[in-house]
Amino acid sequence: MDAKLTEVAQLFERFKAASMRNDFDSATNLLSQLKVLLTEFKSLPPLFEESPNAIQELTIARDIYEHAVVLSVKTEDQDAFERDFFQLKPYYTDTGSRLPPSPQEYPILGLNLLRLLVQNRIAEFHTELELLSSSALENPCIKHAVELEQSFMEGAYNRVLSARRTVPHETYVYFMDLLAKTVRDEIAGCSEKAYDYLSINDARQMLMFSTDKELYEYISEDHPEWEVKNGSVFFQKVKESAPSKEIPSLQLINQTLSYARELERIV
Amino acid sequence: MTQDVEMKEVAAPSNSTSSAVPSTLQHLKEIAALIETGAYAREVRRIVRVVRLTIALRRKLKASVVSAFLGYALAAGSEAHSRLVSYLPREDEHDMEVDTASSVAQPPVKHSLPELEIYCYLLVLIFLIDQKKFSEAKACSSASIARLRTLNRRTVDVLASRLYFYYSYSYEMTGDLAEIRGTIQLEYTDAKESLLQAARKAPAAARGFRVQCNKWAIIVRLLLGEIPERTVFMQKGMKKALVPYFELTNAVRVGDLELFRVVAEKFASTFSSDGTHNLIVRLRHNVIRTGLRNISISYSRISLADVAQKLRLDSENPVADAESIVAKAIRDGAIDATIDHANGWMVSKETGDVYSTNEPQFAFNSRIAFCLNMHNEAVRALRFPPNSHKKEKESAEKRRERQQQEQELAKHIAEEDDDEF
Repeated sequence: MDAKLTEVAQLFERFKAASMRNDFDSATNLLSQLKVLLTEFKSLPPLFEESPNAIQELTIARDIYEHAVVLSVKTEDQDAFERDFFQLKPYYTDTGSRLPPSPQEYPILGLNLLRLLVQNRIAEFHTELELLSSSALENPCIKHAVELEQSFMEGAYNRVLSARRTVPHETYVYFMDLLAKTVRDEIAGCSEKAYDYLSINDARQMLMFSTDKELYEYISEDHPEWEVKNGSVFFQKVKESAPSKEIPSLQLINQTLSYARELERIV
Repeated sequence: MTQDVEMKEVAAPSNSTSSAVPSTLQHLKEIAALIETGAYAREVRRIVRVVRLTIALRRKLKASVVSAFLGYALAAGSEAHSRLVSYLPREDEHDMEVDTASSVAQPPVKHSLPELEIYCYLLVLIFLIDQKKFSEAKACSSASIARLRTLNRRTVDVLASRLYFYYSYSYEMTGDLAEIRGTIQLEYTDAKESLLQAARKAPAAARGFRVQCNKWAIIVRLLLGEIPERTVFMQKGMKKALVPYFELTNAVRVGDLELFRVVAEKFASTFSSDGTHNLIVRLRHNVIRTGLRNISISYSRISLADVAQKLRLDSENPVADAESIVAKAIRDGAIDATIDHANGWMVSKETGDVYSTNEPQFAFNSRIAFCLNMHNEAVRALRFPPNSHKKEKESAEKRRERQQQEQELAKHIAEEDDDEF
């Protein structure tokens, strides 16, 4: 093992230790040092140059980035998560023939899916999904995220919430909590359209608040247009757009002109 | 194979002026002539023949031949020429002499034909791929595609289709396929339009392609909430292949989750080999929507427990699930209803008169746009027989006769029109 690799390995051990005892400041520090050191290995992506230590270098780099992703979850930093994940991804997609698969691969891919779901980036979610093999889709970590997305799209929100109890990996809890917030906003949005009014009790349960006070705070902050009276929450219905009173003249003129132009060309 | 080529290369200088080299070069020159006539006469068929002839020649291609041909076909010092030559492996000096000699002997005609230029790209690309020089092939194909984007000629299309094929192939061989393939972005409407166009334009012989197009189009339409017509599934020659999709459509149409699950399971292997499995997973949501819409149309008031039962939601708490699903469907505008939480039922609103909204106008507009687009595409695809105008000149008499007939017909139509008013 050459000197650089030993240095990285030692630093990595210190980083893991710091990360384990939740000393985030020193862990983040060590991580940036590690990333700088990794740039000196030419065997890593994007160069993928052949070197005698290539396999060891690739393995340790993959390990480092996997830990970096987990650390970003612990520090609840979504931007860092995205960065680290994209640095990690080439190791999963492009080194398949050289490295044995990492046991962390599916949990981390699942985490990323969950992150996209939390950030409501559904298109990217499906893009990632298309890249996975059918055997990967069977993995509990991936399946968890896929089922969540389905329940989320259907509107079966309590299924989303109960999924928190069945997380396949402890790192998932952070994103599940974030998801709960997203779900609450969704429920609020659906409720105001679907109900004329709800009793305070029902509204509190539905929006998952433990006290009435929390509910009132939420209403005054996020939905000031809701009205609380006689022990119920009344939703102001947004006027429906059904019958059109006005003729959309400009649009009509534009369309008719374009028909005329096309017909002119035909005749 | 490489060995083979090397051997020939070594042999080439000694008898460079005799058999092998000139004959291949001669063939290529004939091909160039064919391209010219094809391009001037707008005869796509000739270009198709060019491609066929080239494929037959590809085994005989050598760097010296290719570069000699480039010197012949492209103006020396032109951008395309210098770029294409740079992709070719360096020759030894003798070959270079042959090269210049041939271009001196036949001073490059000022070919500015884009067809010929594109053909040169294709030739170099095929050569590079056969030589397994994939990174050069990648660069060459990228350059050719960039050039193609600036052209809009039907006679180039045939060559372009081959170029795109090799473009994709060379990226695949260098492992960068993902770079040039777009990603799926939930643009169902765009996808549908492109798929329908592709299916319509595909030649009748390309049945596999058309079947595949139809499969995708069906899924995309289902995802958009449309139900494809029965005739789509009854098209000649693809009835059998579309059976799984027909049953799937049926399940979505009825809105029966259980049936949907059964169909998805029954044809799971077909769907995953078609690469549509993930899309079908997304459809589940549409099945629920359709089911819900059917319920809301049929009942003016229904308990949430019944909704859950009808949708066959199987979970720990089906009523709560049904409630939030209904709420989301209301918010997304899929159904027009309200929920009464205290009594646990859903009340459908009277369906409004759709003709009081702008809906019909939108529908008409999109249909008109489709028809106009179809007409324009058809005009663009028209092919005129060469020299047909000459023939017409010769038979002036016939023309007069025809014009007379046309006038009569026009009169006839005008009379009919008058009758109608």
